Formats: sequence, structure tokens, C-alpha cells
Amino acid sequence: MQLELRGITKRFGSFTANDQISLKVEPGQIHSLLGENGAGKSTLMNVLFGLLRPDEGEILIDDVATPITDSGEAVRRGIGMVHQHFMLVPVFSVTENVVLGFEPTKSLNRVDYKRATEDIRRLSHQFNLDVDPDAIVENLPVGLQQRVEILKALSHDAELLILDEPTAVLTPQEIDSLMEIMRSLAAAGKSILFITHKLKEVKAVADVITVIRQGRVVGTAEPSASESELASMMVGREVKLTVEKTPYDPGNEVLEVRDLVVLDDRGLVAVNGVTLDVRAGEVLALAGVQGNGQTEFVEALVGMRPVESGSITLKGRDITNLTPREALDAGLGHIPEDRQRDGLVLSMSVADNLVLNTPRRAPFARHGTRNLTAVNENAERLVREFDIRTTSIREPASSLSGGNQQKVIVARELSRSIEFLVASQPTRGLDVGSIEYVHRQIIEHRNRGNGALIVSSELDEVVALGDRIAVMYEGRISGVVDPSASRESIGLLMAGHTTEASSV
Amino acid sequence: MSLIDAKTAPRAIAPMKNRRTRVIAIIMGLIGVFTIFAFGLGSESRAHSSLTFNPINLVNAPWRVGSLTVVTRWTDVVLGVVMVAIAAETYLRHPRRGVMARFGSVAVLFLFALLFWAARTPGPSPTSSVNITAILVGSSAAAMVLIFGSLSGVMCERSGVVNIAIEGQFIGGAFLGSMIASTTHDFFFAAIAGMVAGGVIGLVLAFLSLRYRSDQIIVGVVLVTMLSSLSSYLNLQVFTPFPNFNTGILAPNLPIPLLSKIPVLGPVFFNQSGFFYVMIILVAVVSFALFKTRYGLHVRAVGEHPRAAATVGINVIRVRYINVVLGGAIAGLGGVAFMATQGQFQVGYTSGYGYIALAALIFGRWRPSGAVVASIIFGLSVYLSYNLVTYNVPISLYILQMFPYLITIAVVAGLIGRVRAPAADGQPYLRD
Amino acid sequence: MSETSSARASLWVRYTSSSPLVVTFFALVLGLLFGAFVIITTTPSVLDAWRAIFHGWNGIPHALNLTFDNVGAAYRSMFTGSIVDPQGLWHSISTGKGWTNTLTPISETLTYATPLVIASIGVGIAFQTGLFNIGANGQAVIGGIAGAVVGSMLHMPEILHLPVTLLAGIAGGMICGAVPGVLKAYTGAHEVIVTLMFNYVTYAFLLFMVLSTPFQQPGQQNDIGRTMDHSAQLAPLFGTRSGLRVSYGVFVAVAVVIFASWLLNRSSLGFDFRVTGANPSAARASGINARTVIVVVFLISGGLAGLAGVVQVASTTHYVDGGFLIGSAGIGFTAITVALLGRNRPIGIVWAALLFAALGVGGRNMQATTGIPLDLATVIQSAIVLFVATPVLVKEIFRLRAAKTTTVQLATTGWGS
Repeated sequence: MQLELRGITKRFGSFTANDQISLKVEPGQIHSLLGENGAGKSTLMNVLFGLLRPDEGEILIDDVATPITDSGEAVRRGIGMVHQHFMLVPVFSVTENVVLGFEPTKSLNRVDYKRATEDIRRLSHQFNLDVDPDAIVENLPVGLQQRVEILKALSHDAELLILDEPTAVLTPQEIDSLMEIMRSLAAAGKSILFITHKLKEVKAVADVITVIRQGRVVGTAEPSASESELASMMVGREVKLTVEKTPYDPGNEVLEVRDLVVLDDRGLVAVNGVTLDVRAGEVLALAGVQGNGQTEFVEALVGMRPVESGSITLKGRDITNLTPREALDAGLGHIPEDRQRDGLVLSMSVADNLVLNTPRRAPFARHGTRNLTAVNENAERLVREFDIRTTSIREPASSLSGGNQQKVIVARELSRSIEFLVASQPTRGLDVGSIEYVHRQIIEHRNRGNGALIVSSELDEVVALGDRIAVMYEGRISGVVDPSASRESIGLLMAGHTTEASSV
Repeated sequence: MSLIDAKTAPRAIAPMKNRRTRVIAIIMGLIGVFTIFAFGLGSESRAHSSLTFNPINLVNAPWRVGSLTVVTRWTDVVLGVVMVAIAAETYLRHPRRGVMARFGSVAVLFLFALLFWAARTPGPSPTSSVNITAILVGSSAAAMVLIFGSLSGVMCERSGVVNIAIEGQFIGGAFLGSMIASTTHDFFFAAIAGMVAGGVIGLVLAFLSLRYRSDQIIVGVVLVTMLSSLSSYLNLQVFTPFPNFNTGILAPNLPIPLLSKIPVLGPVFFNQSGFFYVMIILVAVVSFALFKTRYGLHVRAVGEHPRAAATVGINVIRVRYINVVLGGAIAGLGGVAFMATQGQFQVGYTSGYGYIALAALIFGRWRPSGAVVASIIFGLSVYLSYNLVTYNVPISLYILQMFPYLITIAVVAGLIGRVRAPAADGQPYLRD
Repeated sequence: MSETSSARASLWVRYTSSSPLVVTFFALVLGLLFGAFVIITTTPSVLDAWRAIFHGWNGIPHALNLTFDNVGAAYRSMFTGSIVDPQGLWHSISTGKGWTNTLTPISETLTYATPLVIASIGVGIAFQTGLFNIGANGQAVIGGIAGAVVGSMLHMPEILHLPVTLLAGIAGGMICGAVPGVLKAYTGAHEVIVTLMFNYVTYAFLLFMVLSTPFQQPGQQNDIGRTMDHSAQLAPLFGTRSGLRVSYGVFVAVAVVIFASWLLNRSSLGFDFRVTGANPSAARASGINARTVIVVVFLISGGLAGLAGVVQVASTTHYVDGGFLIGSAGIGFTAITVALLGRNRPIGIVWAALLFAALGVGGRNMQATTGIPLDLATVIQSAIVLFVATPVLVKEIFRLRAAKTTTVQLATTGWGS
């Protein structure tokens, strides 16, 4: 199938998310759409998939203008989408998920599960996508869930597949395997639109690259283009991918974790005997594919999740199983993974958010009554120091951009006198400028002689920030390496291949 | 390496879930111990309880079952021991499934132990007796109304809308049902009218919560307030000056040939009003529709993950509208059925059954079959709370009347963490 | 994007389109229209007049007249019964007599509003924390019983008796509120179901109390409790001889409003409440103990409902009976709608409570003078709140400019949490 977008424009109020975007995908081609977070990639895909209506422009399928009014229409036209956040019903079986919306039926409107299962078997055999049709989706690992998404799209006879940031949740090896699948699908004549902000993947798999920035197409490139070329196209200026650091000179152990065991929400073991140390003046980067226990590990550190066994010590003081309040008071700073869920109260003012976890501390309150003057002075100062772009400290946090919201959290945590910083996915979803800013703040914290633990599933970030890199797999530390270690070796650790040599 | 190998390493099952199971087991054990000591050993050593099974109203019954007289003390001790045994089994084996079934059976055993104790006569020769058939028939009326209500809840909540307004739909159905039944003397028209009333209330709930994304619980609660005050207003404004509109008639029993003659089961299941049979058919239809049909798959997808449903072309809002209106109609029909067992409409006589039905829905894990079982237990407790005073019970009627509500609270508190609501239940759906 | 649009929006547009007050005003209009519709469709004479127009167009003026007469009479009697009767006022001003009659409506409205403000603030504090206290009526019933028991069965010096009575009411409401709070915090039982069930439990308890010996009014067979000592009553503000019932309870309500304003706007505890209500996950991450907050909020909310119950008893009947706060007109139920109308803010709640008290008191006068049942007032109240809870609908009906929607901020989270 040949797909062409002509002059697609999509506005939200006065903000133009897509501005006159045109591109063309040929049959059997892997077309990569490269752009940084917030460049308008997801908006464009939602337009293409019928989830949003464009304000201007048209979509042509095989040279025929085809308005796509809703996602059902998109599917009927042969467009399949693998969403970044899987569109799968967790409690349904693979079969139920794949046939949803396109069920074969028998009498009385009953779903013909037998036929559906056979269809799935056939399809997974044809495209080499092995998965058990009767498994319940929530019990499958993420990589397999993604296969179900792909199968779902193929079962609707998709001729064009949109893959929206598909590698974010995968190990490097799983990514390789996905690339194989993409190539074989293209060889079978399917067109693929591959959306990402990761340069290496684009270079590895794309036939054609379209780069977008701030809602506009800024150019096309060949896969042979260098990474720095692609990066500067994507960001619009020279990007320094490395962070300036003072020489690595670690002090004493600040944080000591011993044999930590933590359960997840379902009561399964998520952290399975983790032992690690972080020293003063050191950033320990915790790498690993999302969902390998990092979230639960961090939550246990900051007191948000009970520790089943093992111990956590901060500067010699046992902080195992403290309440979040006690953990904060003990000197832990926390930049949570999901900033809008755990880090901010979006409906409250910037000023209130800047004292969110110290509202009772002097000078912000006395005898249970808040001192709003002190709260506001604090906010004015931090907005200036941390360059938070807001019209007023009284504006709700929801009015800030993602980058500025993260700055509010960073400012709040680093302005307290903390002994140790725990930052989870500190730059997820941010634009490059904000990423650089947050990285600089973390490194300055380290340069002042403090310890930090940075959890990230972005390999680039882990390598840029970490003085040492610990890799987490299946709730265990599969290895600790130097940032100069090869990507392949880190990738193997992320896939669970423990190295004998590594020790903590 | 292949994707399949990833993350297949076995993970230990943690004790988290079992903690709750253990707590439930301990509660069941305490109920059993209480039964042994209060009802068993607490009753006079020579006291007897007599059970009869012959329906009261069936004068020319083709069958008679002899009455059963048991020694109260030891019967209740045995029942208590059985409860303790179930509790012990649950505690030690902490099964992953069927904990609630065990809890339900302990509840039923407890109710019977209570009955034996209440019906005891001190001497060796029994003078009063407990008519099991009458109790089951009486409870079935309350259970029927609760089943209608919880089925309504299943319809709405499986599609992701919380219907707190079931109580209001009962009121609306009972009010309009009584009016139509009184004027036409035809329960068919009354049933239609009740369904329309419930459906319209459902439509208002759907309209405000789907189109305008108002908070579903607030809208539901305020709708109940409005319906109860509106019914009170209309009762004075219409029914008082025109009593002919609210003479109230009871639905006649329609015995099914042969089947109705089966001892005990016959009167309970096969000698009921048309509403009862409709209810049974409805349970079957809703179960079938939800779990076998294409439509049901769409409904469940919408209730679990509306965005996923939308991406494959399912119209989330439409599915929810349909289900909330149908659910409202079912609850409205429940209101008519209630009226048909109670007679003329009175203000406030649904006394919170709509809310108990919600609890039955939760207890029944959002499944029609589970809701039926829960409704039977609640129905039994509602019936007994009104009728235990006729027996040998030294407790005020008003204290007894607290029990159905207290049991509901206990059940909700004990079980809610164990059951899983549809993931999108109560969440407004935003189309980007 | 919102920066530029809000910067461009002139003050005028802001205040006509997005002000909650405007939406509230139009919701009030819609509620009254709905009430008028209900009156018209249920009054036989009006319906007959409209039916007559099928026989000839000349029936229309008559039908219209009758409609306006009926609706007008109803709403006029509501106004004169709750605010002031203009004729009586003129009579009093010109002759200097009959002031008691003239002031009675407003005094009654204030009497009714006093416990309503207290209970509604309790409900509003819970709402602001994201908790639904639908059981305020039951808590008020228990508070009323506790106060009546202490006020009638314990005897102590005047200076102590009233405070102890009020404290007993608070304690009763707190105990009743603690149950759903603790169950929610420690088992996750949804507070809506638990508080609703508790309403029925407390009714049964009320009947039990007023029909059993120690508390039943001596020499009575009916469902009526003992009368409180004079020392435990809230005395009329203008003396017993004034004939006006408005009591010192007004000062209790004012104190509650001041306390609640401080609590929600200025205290650290209230900050915790608001954070928990707006974002429970962030509350947890920032060190707020959700369980403590839930229990404390339910204690405060229940305590205030209990206080409302005892103020109601101590300032009006001085005894509880089987009909105490029964039915949809119970202050605990009205409190839910008042809190929503007042957007859970203390000052907003004061105005909303005065409005709903006027509707309720006026409804009684309407029933007495026109025969239209009092329950119409509750119907209108719930209609108003349905519209307030759906601001977008109100804006669409009146074609108000769509701007920021300030809706009642609550997040339903299903049954699990």
C-alpha cells in the first residue's frame, strides 16, 4: 500500500502541533519518522489513525484521497497501529484481544472462538510471531504483548503498520528481534511507518527517514547519515550528547542496600535480593528494561512500598521500611518516575507544589498554620534560580510545559538539604533542552559531593550520567559495569546474562 | 535470543493475598465459635427446634413432608463446628479461588443456626416451629428484587459506569408500576412502564456522566435524592387525591404444572409470580450476552480499557449509553417487581435495597451468577430481620433491622480488596 | 496555548463565561423552571385548562393565566414564607406592630440554615479530600440522639451542660463517622456504600432508642424521646418572649465556618487534605499518610454532622422522635447538595445553605397556603445541584461563552481504591 500525507495541519487552540506535514510511504518500505519528544509525531499518527481530525490537509491511499474519520475506518483501510501504550485489555486472552472489533460469529451473535484461535495460529505461523492464543495478556511479558499488538494489526489485514516508539520497553536484544520482524514484514510487502527519537534504531532499520521538529518537516535523510547529523536536524542545533563532569572521586558509602526483597502490587516478588552501594560524589545509574523491578526498588527506597526483607542504610542510619515522610525527613530526595501522578498536584499552584513535601517545616508553617508569605518567597526564589517558565507562581502546575513541570520537581528536591537523590526516569518525555538542564542539575548535585541513584531505561542517559552502571533484570542486579563498557555487554546484562566478573 | 524467553523465570507467590484470606478465615472461625457458644451451648439443654416444610398457603398440597425436630443445642454446635472446619480449611490451605463461596456458605449456615436457635422451645415437646419453605419463599421475594438491582449494576459497571442510582430506579419503577397496575390491572403494562421509568433515569445518568463527564457517584446520589423527593411529592399531589391510582395489586402466582408440586423446591422456584420467572430468564440472558456474544465482548472491553476498544472501531460512548439505559430498565423492572410483592406504593419503602444490590454486585464479582448468590444471602438476611421477632428472640425488632445493612458493610469491607472491578469502572472516557 | 488565550480574554468575558457564580445563578433559574414544570404537570386544574385548548384556541389565555397563577402562588408563598412578606413588612413599618410575624420567616430560615451550614461544611471538607460522606444524615441522627441523651438524662450546672451536650453530639457523630473512615483506610471498603448503609442502621437505632425505656419520654407510648433540660438548650437569640426561634446556634455555625476556613485555607492539615483530594498518589509520595488523612477527615466530617444534629435538637424541638431527620429532607442529605452547590468552600456553603434553607422553609409555607407538597423544595434543590454538577450543560443551554470550566473537582476512582 502506498500512503501519502499532504499538508496535514492540526491545531490545539493557538498551538500548532502539526504544520503542513507531507510525506509518502511506499509499499514494502520502512519509513522512519524521527523527532524529539513534543515534536508532533504522536499527533500526526493519531491523525493518520483517525483518533484526531486534521484541520487541513489530506491523506491519500494509493493516490486516492481518503478521509479517515475514526480508527475503525483506518483499520478498514488497511492501516494498523502498534501503540506506544499497548491497546490491549489486560484481563482478556490473546484471542479475545486480537479479534476484538472484528469477531467471527456464529448463531445468536456468539463469538466463534474456535475459528478465531485457528486464524491466530495460522497468522502467527505465517509471520513467525509465536504466541499462545489462550494466554491472558496481563500474564505475558511486555515483548510478547507487543507481538499481540502486531498480530492484532495483521489480523485486520493491515497493509501499513504504524509502530509508535515501539522500542521503549524492550531490551536491546528484543529490539534486534523486533527489527527482524519489521524487515520480514517489509519483505512481505507491508509498508511500515516507524516512529522514534532513537537515532541508532533509525539508522539500523529505516529505508527512508523524515525528520520533524516543532510540528514541521525539516527534511529527509538517508540511513547512511551520521548520528550527529540526524541529531542536529532533529533538535535544530548542535547537540552535545555528553555531560561535563568533574573527575570521578568517590567518597564513603552513602547508601547501602542489602539483600532487598520487595513485592509488586500483585504480591509477586519484584525485587529479589538486591545489594548495592552508592558513594558520596557518585552517580549510580540503574539500567534495565522497564518492569524489571526498578519501580518497586525505588518505591521501597523512598518508603512508598514495604520491604519484605533486607535493609537500606543511609549514611549509617537504617532507613528500612520508613514511611515516605520519614524517608523524606531522613534526607532522601525523590524525582518520581511518573511526574504527573506522583510528583505534582496539577490543580494546585506552582508555589504549593514547590513545598509539596515540606509544608509543615519552618518557615513554611508554624503551629499547624501555614506561612503563605514564606511559601511565596520560596517559590519566587526557586522560579528564578531554576529558570521555571511560568506566568505566575499562582498558576496551577497543569499550565506548565512538561519540561517546566519537571523543573518544579527538581527545584523542590534539590533546594531541600538532602543527603541523597533518587531520580526515576528523570528525563522521560522531555525535549532536548530540558534533558540537558536536568542532567546538569543532577551532575552539579554529584559534584557537590552528594550521592545519587538514577534509574533510566534509556541507555544513552545511563551512559552519560552514571559513574557506575548497575543493570537490573528480573528483580536482581545482573551486573555492575563501567560507563565505558560496550553497549552490547550492557544489553546482554539487560537481557539477564549475568557476567561472572562483575561484582558490587 | 527470542522474545519468548524473556521474563519467564518463576516468581514466588507472595503472602500478600493470603493475608486477606487469613483474615476472612479468622472471621469465619469467630462466627463459628460464636454459633457454638451462643446458639449451641447457650440454648437450654432440652430445647428442641422443629422444622416444617409444608407450604402454608397450599391447602390441597399433593404432598406432605413430615416435620423435623432436632435438639437445638447439638444441632447448632454441629453447624458451628462445620463453620470452624471451613474456616480452618481456608486458613491452612488458603485456596486462591472459592474463598467467597466458602464465606457465603458460612453465612448461610449461620443464618440457619440462628433460625434453629430462634425457633427453639424449652421443653422436649415442640410447640412452635420454623417453616423452612415459608422462609425460603419469603426471602425469595427480597432476593428477586436484589437480583434485578444487581443485574442492573452488572450491565452498567461492566461497561464502566457506576450506577448508584439503582435505588432511584427502584423508586421510579415502583411508583409508575403501581400507578399503571392500579389503573390497567395489567402487570404487563406496569412492567413496561417501570422499565421506561428506570430507563429514563438511566438515560439521565448516562447523559450527564457520558456527555458532560459529571461525576457518576454525585449524579447517582443526587438522582436518588430527586427521585425519592419527587415520589414523595407525587404521592401527596396525585395519589392522595386520587387513591384509585395507587390501589396496589399483588402479582398472582403462576404455578408451573408438575414442577410446582416438588416438595420445598416447588413453592420456592416454580410457584412464583411472572416477575420471578422473568428474573431467572434475565439472569441467563445477561450472562449469555456478556460472556458469549460479540456484544458482550465489546461491553467488557469498554469497561476494562475503553481506549483499546475505541482503536478497533467500537463506539465506547454508544455502548455505555445502551448498557446504562438497559441497566436502568432492568432496575425499573425490579421496582415494579418489588411493588408487586408489597402492594401499593409507599414513600421510602425500598429502604436502601438499591444500595444492598450494589453490594451484592461487588460480592458477586461483577458476574450475574455471583450476584445471584449474593442476593440470596442478602435476601435471606433482609427477610429474617423482619420476621425473627415472631420467634423466640429477645432482641428488639429495630436492632434486628440493622443486620442486613451491617452484614452488607461487613461483606464490602471484608471482600472488596479481593475482588477486581472492571478497570475503567467509574472513569469518564475522554476522546483525546 | 492557554497563556495567550487567557491573556487575551478580557475581564468581562471571564466573569460572564467562567465564573462559577454565573453558572450557579443559571442553575438556580433552571431548577426553579423545572419545579414550575413539575407543578404544572401535576396540578389537575392546570392540566384541565391545557386540555381545553384542544377544543378551541380561546382556551389559551385561560390556561396561561391558570399556569402563572399556580406557579406564581407557589413561588410567592415560598418567598413570603422564608424571607419576608412585603405586605407584613409595610404593615410593621407603618404601624410599628406585628414585627414578630414579619420576622418569623427569616428567623425560621436562619434556624433551619444553622445546622445545615455545620453539616454541609463537614460534607464539604470530605469532598475536598476526595471522600464522599453520604452518611452525614446518619451521623447527625446519632449526634442528635447523643445530645438529647446528655441533655435530658444528665443534669449539671448551666455553664457546663450546654457545652457537654454539644460535645456529646460531636462525639456521637465522630464515632459514627469513624467506622466508614477506618474501613476505607484499612480495608479499602468504598465509603459510599458504608456510609449509605449506616444511614439505615442509624434510623433503626433511633427507633430503638425512642421506643425503649430509659430514653423514651416518660408516660409516652409513642416514638418520642426525653426533652432536654433548659440548661442544655440553645436559647433563642432574642429571648423566649420574642417568639422567634433563631438561636445562639448561629454563633456555633459562625465558629464552624471560621474553623473550616482556617483548616482548609491556612492549616498544614488542610493542605494535606487538599493534596490528598486532588492527587492521592502525589500525596503519598510527598509523605502524607493517606490512612491518617482518611480517618481524620471522617472524624471531622462526622463530628460536624453530629454537631449539626445536636444543634438542630437543642435549638428547635429539644427532643428527638421517630421522625427526626427522616426522609430526603434530612439535613444530612441536603448537606450533600449544599456542599456541592457551595463548591465545598466554607463561604460558598454559607450562601448555599441559606438558599436551600429558604427553599425548605418556604416549601413548608407553600404546602400550608397552596397545598403543593413540601417535597417540591427538595426536587428543586436536587435539580439545581444536577445542573451545578454539569456546568457545561448550563453553558450550552444559555449559550454562555465556553471558557475555563470550573467544575466540582472530584475524581471517582471506582470501587477498588
